[in-house]
Parts: sequence; structure tokens; C-alpha cells
Amino acid sequence: MKNFAYVLLFSGVGIIVVSSWAALWLRGVLVRLHYLSPVTTIGAPLIGLSLLVARGWGLATGLILLTVFLISLSGPAIAVATARVIAQREGITPAESPK
Amino acid sequence: MNPSTPWYLASIILLLGSLVPALLLSARHGPVDRLVGLSLGGSVGVLTGLLLAQAYGQSSYLIVPFVLAVLAVTGVLVYTRLLGPR
Repeated sequence: MKNFAYVLLFSGVGIIVVSSWAALWLRGVLVRLHYLSPVTTIGAPLIGLSLLVARGWGLATGLILLTVFLISLSGPAIAVATARVIAQREGITPAESPK
Repeated sequence: MNPSTPWYLASIILLLGSLVPALLLSARHGPVDRLVGLSLGGSVGVLTGLLLAQAYGQSSYLIVPFVLAVLAVTGVLVYTRLLGPR
């Protein structure tokens, strides 16, 4: 069971590291924004799952899962908000959007 | 020392390696690229905090990444409002 936790942990960390360096390597802010998503939607849940497997259920595990849930939930919201800023700055959508 | 601590410390070091692109994105490029770097740094910081608490077996440390998770999102959303056209 512990080995399974390590596999989940290093899978999550690997995805985060690759996504981060890809975000730096590639050009264009929209492309960078796309590489931010795997960090919050794949990497963070994998790390949370590995901590759940390693610790078992408990109050501290609940706080870990709540934190990971917050990150996973906020990732897409941040991506949408940032993409809207890009669209407004480039004149794709009106400045007063989404009124 | 917990026998699993070295594994967690190794993963923390790898995660800190992914903090470097976040810092570089935040330090160079345009304003929105910096925002992407800030968002990336916040997420990586929260996960590093979670793993540090697990590595040292201190559950009380978990409040730090929890608060950081809330503040990081709020901060990025505030910056999206400020960076929009006036």
C-alpha cells in the first residue's frame, strides 16, 4: 500500500514538474495558461490521493483533501479569469464583459 | 525519523524544482505571463506545504497550506481584476 502511495506521489510531482517547465519553455500566454491546468487538475489530486493512501482516514487527512479540493476547484476558475483578461486586453471581447 | 521521510523530502525537492519556472515567469515577460507564474507558484507552494507537513509528521503544519490555498486564489483573482482594461 505504501508503494502505491509513492507511485501516486511521484506521478503527481512528475506531472507538475513537466507542466511547469513546459509553461516556461513554450511561447504565448494562452499556451502557458493551458500548461497550468494539469498542475491543479491532475497533479494536486494525485498528491492528495497519495497522502490519503499513506495516512488513512482522519481529521488531518480531511484537511489535506479540503486543501487539494480547493486547489482543484480554483484552477479552472483562475484559468478562465486569466483567459478573459487576455481576451479583453487583445480586444477579442469587450472591456465591460461579462456584464 | 519516519522511514518514509526521505521519499517525501525527495518529492519536495522535485517540487521546488518546478517553483523555478514559476519564479522565472513571474520575474520576466508581460503582466499576464507574470500572473500565470504567480498562479503556478501558489499551487506549487501549497502542495509543497502539504508534503512538508507529511514529511515531518506534524499535522498542525497543515493549516499553512490551507490558508495559502485560499489566499493564493484570492490574490490571483484580484490581479485579474486589476489587469483588465480600464
